[in-house]
Amino acid sequence: MDIYFFLGKGGTGKTTISASFSVGLSHYNKDSNFLIASLDPAHNLGDAFNIELSNKIKKLTENLSAIEVDLEKMIKEYLNDLSTNLKYTYKYLTSFNLDKYFDVLRYSPGIEENAVLESIKKFLKMNEFDALIFDTPPTGITTRVLALPKLTLIWTKRLMDIRRKILDRRKMIENVKGKTEAIIGDEVITLTADEKEDQIMIELVNYSKEMEDLMKLFQSDLTKINIVTMPEDLALFETKRIIESLNKFNIKVNKIYLNKYLIFDNPPEVIEGKIIEQDRVIEKMREEIKNISIKDIPLLSQSPRGIEDLLKFYDNYILE
Amino acid sequence: MKKLFDLLKKIFKGLDIGLREVSTSLIEKELEETENVFALLTMGAFAGIPSPPTGIILRILPYMQREIYVMIARSKNIDDALAEIVGIFSIE
Amino acid sequence: MASVRYDGKSIQWVSGKLMSARTKYTFEIFIYFTLLLIIAAFMGVFTGLATTNASIGTASVLFIIVALIEGVLLYRTKLSFTVSSIIGVILLVLSIYIGYAFPFIKITNAHTWYIVLAIYSVFASSLPVWILLQPRDYLNAYILWAGLILGLVAAIFAFKGFNWPTFTIFSAVTVGGKPSPFWPTVPLVIACGALSGFHSLVATGTTSKQLDNELSGLFIGYGSMFTEGFLATLVITSIAAFGMQVFQGAAGKLTDLKIDLNLLMTDKTYLANKYAAASNSVGGAVGIFTKSFGKMSTSVGLPENIGTTFAGLWVSAFVLTTLDTAVRLARYAWSEIWEPIKKVSEGFYKFIANLWVASIIADGLALLLIWWGSYNILWPGFAGANQLLAAIAMITAAIWVKRVQKAKPSWQMAVLIPALFLWITVTIGLIWYLFVVVPGIAVAFNKYMLGGFTVIMLILNFILVGDFISGWRKGPLPEAEGK
Repeated sequence: MDIYFFLGKGGTGKTTISASFSVGLSHYNKDSNFLIASLDPAHNLGDAFNIELSNKIKKLTENLSAIEVDLEKMIKEYLNDLSTNLKYTYKYLTSFNLDKYFDVLRYSPGIEENAVLESIKKFLKMNEFDALIFDTPPTGITTRVLALPKLTLIWTKRLMDIRRKILDRRKMIENVKGKTEAIIGDEVITLTADEKEDQIMIELVNYSKEMEDLMKLFQSDLTKINIVTMPEDLALFETKRIIESLNKFNIKVNKIYLNKYLIFDNPPEVIEGKIIEQDRVIEKMREEIKNISIKDIPLLSQSPRGIEDLLKFYDNYILE
Repeated sequence: MKKLFDLLKKIFKGLDIGLREVSTSLIEKELEETENVFALLTMGAFAGIPSPPTGIILRILPYMQREIYVMIARSKNIDDALAEIVGIFSIE
Repeated sequence: MASVRYDGKSIQWVSGKLMSARTKYTFEIFIYFTLLLIIAAFMGVFTGLATTNASIGTASVLFIIVALIEGVLLYRTKLSFTVSSIIGVILLVLSIYIGYAFPFIKITNAHTWYIVLAIYSVFASSLPVWILLQPRDYLNAYILWAGLILGLVAAIFAFKGFNWPTFTIFSAVTVGGKPSPFWPTVPLVIACGALSGFHSLVATGTTSKQLDNELSGLFIGYGSMFTEGFLATLVITSIAAFGMQVFQGAAGKLTDLKIDLNLLMTDKTYLANKYAAASNSVGGAVGIFTKSFGKMSTSVGLPENIGTTFAGLWVSAFVLTTLDTAVRLARYAWSEIWEPIKKVSEGFYKFIANLWVASIIADGLALLLIWWGSYNILWPGFAGANQLLAAIAMITAAIWVKRVQKAKPSWQMAVLIPALFLWITVTIGLIWYLFVVVPGIAVAFNKYMLGGFTVIMLILNFILVGDFISGWRKGPLPEAEGK
């Protein structure tokens, strides 16, 4: 499965470009099935297509479908399930305020990144699609999402080491005293010392396997990261930052789309300064960013809306 | 006569249990400490301790009752750690 | 009991709350120095035994190997607990026998042993407990009980009366080769478990958390006191009944030291003045014990040297356990002491609190203490520190009685006066040690090292007491949580 990510600050045209890209790609690859998903909480994807989108996959053409993921709902549902499940297993820990803990979790940094990653995992499992295109949340979140598998692996490894030590010690005590039992409330639970039976260990192992697969996927050539940016100083700075932080996790950037590029035969005085900045930035960009192809896309008088427009946009500006 | 036998049996059972305790008391302490560390690492969000990515916590939370139990019991003694450790090794 | 009421906290925690946070910190430094003294003193004890008796040295080393094997058997194999234990005991007996029959570890150079012990304790204290500490602890229990039973039976069979004078002179030459007045130096010599400062770190830390109610506390205290009392009685009996025979057996060495054996046996004053020197020739106080125990056990048919080797192993096993435990604890106290530096430089803290660095520093400092002298000189320092800890614990209890229990003045005094008496005794004892014994130490470096140590301990002592005085003056405290 090929994966295309479109990163970019708000207002750079990321949604338009990703939408156009999906239309074009699916148009010229009729024997593959495509899905474009918006992971941005502030969804604009429907606007780009001029079609109302929802949390359900909607078929746009023969081989292109679209969806706007409701992350809020995902998080709420997940936590609710967890909460009901836990209220039962934890009923004896009265001094442990489970509700308070869930509040902390709900707003803990990382809960959104986690939801995005889970969402991506879900789509990856849909075998009916050959390629996925993602319109991503604000770049801060997205870079963290892409780095999350590796970061998770570092933690799971550490936790598994400690867990192994716990199980090892339990085994030694078991050899002498028999199985350990813990009294929680009025229930007596037998504690296992076997890695294959310890539920925590099993979860850690499974989860780390999933994360490892994801990490390898993100680092491979199947994943193509595209950054949509503008010819401005701050935008260049941000773009470089994204490339650097992704590099740390061995994730390569595939292409940079330099959008809203100003082309004037006779620029009015007011805009002259802007054009000078633009040229300067572009030169700097070509100097400092090697190995990544950069595509200029001019500022259009009207943004493309609807599938036809998007296809034309693709033909004119994106297709190589 | 039977009473004597029973008494002897009791004594030997007591000895047996006692000896098994002696041979594992240090390991038990080490186990509890490690469980504490594990609980702190995974649930430390409350205490401002750097915690793992939320994903991990959400996955193992359903199985963590005992660890939380241990952590709550021990969190009272965190600032008296030296005593905890000295207590493990009885020096006379 | 003070800590039982205060929710099971240790004495240093209690003192921190009753007086000031600085008190707790001072305590921790004090504890660290005490631990160093313990490490050094116990290195000395073991070396004293091993250099004068190759059987004991051999048996001790073999015992460590046995403990390693036992650890694997108990915790790593499917062998039943009973079978593993039996194998362990058999191997234990074997090591005593081999030590007795083929004492092949004949290192007589004390310094060599010191280095060996230092290296050993650095490694042993960083190993996971199951490998060495736990199995050895376990086997030690068998040694203890075998020794108590053997000792009791042998003493009964062998008893023909003491040929040791009950009282010699008031100022026997005991401590560091100087005439030592009974008061205030007795706490410097007796570092006995019945009244030991270290227990206030421990017992209040954990035993009190295990008590269901305070009555059980009385029983536990009484029970362990009894065992210790019994052990102490056994030791004294053994020495008192057979000590002279030990001296007779070492007649050659005594003549070398120009000590008249006949005078030793008949003249009380002469015995008092020459005892320390004489006992040094047979391996110090511990040496006398092991040898006299050996003689005593002949009454049940054991060859004398086996009895001696057994007693020696008894002592050395305990000593080695204490040694690597003390290093572990010293490491921990060390990292707690350096905690404040974290805010200044985390890198430095990481380095200084590193497992190996801390162990090596602790052992290094201890080596400096013991290198030039025998433990005879150190022991009073260690004992003094230990009892000082006890005195401080008692004073803390007194303050607790006053401020938390809000007891009547008569009760307050009932606790405070003995505490003060002990404190005064030990403090003066340590000052006496500083001014009378330390200057007499032969090697200059050792003299300044020990002197410095004692000075530091006394300073810490006075700081703590200063805090206590101001703590005493403060008003009643809010009720502490009962358990």
